[in-house]
Amino acid sequence: MKDYQLAWRNLWRNKRRTLITAASVFFAVFFALVMRSFQLGTYNKMYRDVIESYSGYLQLQNTDYLDEPNIDNGFVVDQDITGMIESDPNVTTVIPRLEAFALAAVGSRTQGVMVIGMDPDKEDKGFNIRNRMVKYKLTPDAVESLKAENLPGRTGKLLDVFLNESFTDEAGLTSILGIDRSDTMKVLPLFRKYASFRNACLAASDTGFAVIGSGLSEYLHAGVGDTIVLMGQGYHGTSAAGLYVVKGVVIMPQPEIDNRFVYLTLDDARYLYDAPGMATSAIISITETGDKELHNTQERLTRVCGDGLVIRNWKEMNALLLNQMEADNKSGAIMIGILYLVIAFGVFGTVLMMMAERRREFGMLVSIGMQKSKLAKVVSLEMLLIGLLGVVAGVAASLPIVFYGYAKPLRFTGELARMYEDYGFEPVMPMLLPDTYYLWQVVIVLLILSIAIAFSIRKVFKLNIINALRA
Amino acid sequence: MKVVEINDVYKTYRDTEVEVRAINGVTLSFEKGDFAVIVGPSGSGKTTLLNLIGGLDQPTGGEIIVAGHHLSELRPSELIDFRMEHVGFVFQSYNLIPVLTAAENVGFIMNLQKWPKEKRKARTDELLESVGLADRHNSRPSQLSGGQQQRVAVARALAPRPEFILADEPTANLDSKSAETLLDIMEKLNQEENMTFIFSTHDARVMKRARRVITLEDGRIISDERTNHNS
Ligand SMILES: Nc1ncnc2c1ncn2[C@@H]1O[C@H](COP(=O)(O)OP(=O)(O)OP(=O)(O)O)[C@@H](O)[C@H]1O
Ligand SMILES: [Mg+2]
Repeated sequence: MKDYQLAWRNLWRNKRRTLITAASVFFAVFFALVMRSFQLGTYNKMYRDVIESYSGYLQLQNTDYLDEPNIDNGFVVDQDITGMIESDPNVTTVIPRLEAFALAAVGSRTQGVMVIGMDPDKEDKGFNIRNRMVKYKLTPDAVESLKAENLPGRTGKLLDVFLNESFTDEAGLTSILGIDRSDTMKVLPLFRKYASFRNACLAASDTGFAVIGSGLSEYLHAGVGDTIVLMGQGYHGTSAAGLYVVKGVVIMPQPEIDNRFVYLTLDDARYLYDAPGMATSAIISITETGDKELHNTQERLTRVCGDGLVIRNWKEMNALLLNQMEADNKSGAIMIGILYLVIAFGVFGTVLMMMAERRREFGMLVSIGMQKSKLAKVVSLEMLLIGLLGVVAGVAASLPIVFYGYAKPLRFTGELARMYEDYGFEPVMPMLLPDTYYLWQVVIVLLILSIAIAFSIRKVFKLNIINALRA
Repeated sequence: MKVVEINDVYKTYRDTEVEVRAINGVTLSFEKGDFAVIVGPSGSGKTTLLNLIGGLDQPTGGEIIVAGHHLSELRPSELIDFRMEHVGFVFQSYNLIPVLTAAENVGFIMNLQKWPKEKRKARTDELLESVGLADRHNSRPSQLSGGQQQRVAVARALAPRPEFILADEPTANLDSKSAETLLDIMEKLNQEENMTFIFSTHDARVMKRARRVITLEDGRIISDERTNHNS
């Protein structure tokens, strides 16, 4: 009979209590993990969205641009400096960008927009706009025609829910409209026929064309081929105005950006704002994006970027978002803390009862020759086994949910979705795959257990045999 | 040969204000092969004396020597090992580990002493046989009667061949038939293995069977008689 065997059998002498204790640990771990996964997954997506659709990981900027982001705080792009930056091992390209405010108008509708001038040949390394182009759009006409085709399953009903929705690829279309894998061969051609969206990217040689966000397109009622007017203030107070034909519509993941996005070629933007050779920022795209490598790269580049210019990382550029997420993160951590506190009391209660009930037995065991250290080991193993039972079950139960929630993120519709969009977020809640936060839950439970174990070890060593036998 | 020597031993409990002299100047020894019973009214110090002999408690004064060990010189953990090797205990009740089978309970101390498996098994079989429970190897304590549980406890105490067996009122919770059976077994083991038994009792049936009766009163020995009535 080994110590762990004895511990295992002791575990089941009060089956119900063991199960209740293990179950309480299980639920705490399970809820904490699912909640954390949602929370962290959502933050992660927000960071990624803002990085991929807007700021990039690193930018070259004028020193003053972060505080006063206007075109007067731009800089003249120096090929020597960009060349040096591009020669860094972690850097793939440098993409100069001219970004400025403008008023966009179509007919009587106007909207304040963010004009971004970029070199179309390089844009794919920065924003990947090519993959964000709208390919399908459920216009009222398209929905009408699709309904007449008697689509299988839920798809027919979902068409109304997603009226006027745009899609950038067929994967999004099939998952959001609940099209069964077996039906895709039949259904997708119908979507291609009725809901295809004619669209094109900017080319380097284009002049007088623009690509706009789908939200903006909606608001201005400006589709492909329509002309928009842009008006604003150019470099050092010159006036800026121009006419641009919409060539394409894109979906930017952050609604806040999507609703205000106007993309011109860099040359067009420089001309519009009377800022030849200038940029307001240059996105530095890098391969290794982890915190440590990012920091090192930033330091290396800071040394070469020259006077009046700085390298900013995405955290500096998105300080507001980070603060919001940090506050939200704290409130989540407090909730989990309370949850674990309750569990800790439960576990402690079990230890107390177990020790009290078995005093006599412990007295007998030490009388007949069992060393207290061995007894303490058996009792500790019992506690550890209960805890691990809960942790292992909790982790195991959370995994399928987390993996599912990662593969098929929860997507809101209706009011809730609108609310999310009003705050500038896409109404999607993906989950984060297991990461250090899993480790943390285990650490917390082990911490609770070690307190319980320390207590029971102390009790065993302080056991007075005579009193225990008289109990 | 003396297995236990008790020289002018005192035990005082100082619980609250009052001082209780549970053992008040006892000098006594036990020989190999004794079948001795300690009797006396409730509160006379029987349990206290057995606890002192078994090294469960330390005397306030005097000296106890068991198998050449001066008990007062042993450190707490050494005392535990001492008990494991030299003393067999049978308590009034709750003797067994509820989650182990009869055989595992009998083997428990041999297990602590790291006996090889085959030797342990052979000894367990032999002892369960001699306490008449050869067919209850795999029964849990809860599946055994009170008398059967006490017999398993005797087998366990005997297993590692201790110097002597201490039993504090082993029959107190048993009906007369079970008590008789238990006594038969202890007597047989006393004769066959020359095992020394020291027990306390209130029970006239037990006194009748003993070959030595020590009477305590207020922590003092008032008589120590050897009888020759072998059953
Ligand atoms: N741990 C203790 N603390 C305080 N007093 C004790 C303790 N153990 C025993 N006593 C006292 O010592 C005296 C002897 O007690 P002991 O238990 O040895 O008597 P006993 O002969 O075994 O009695 P019984 O026949 O009732 O079992 C009693 O007065 C008892 O109250
Ligand atoms: Mg007593």
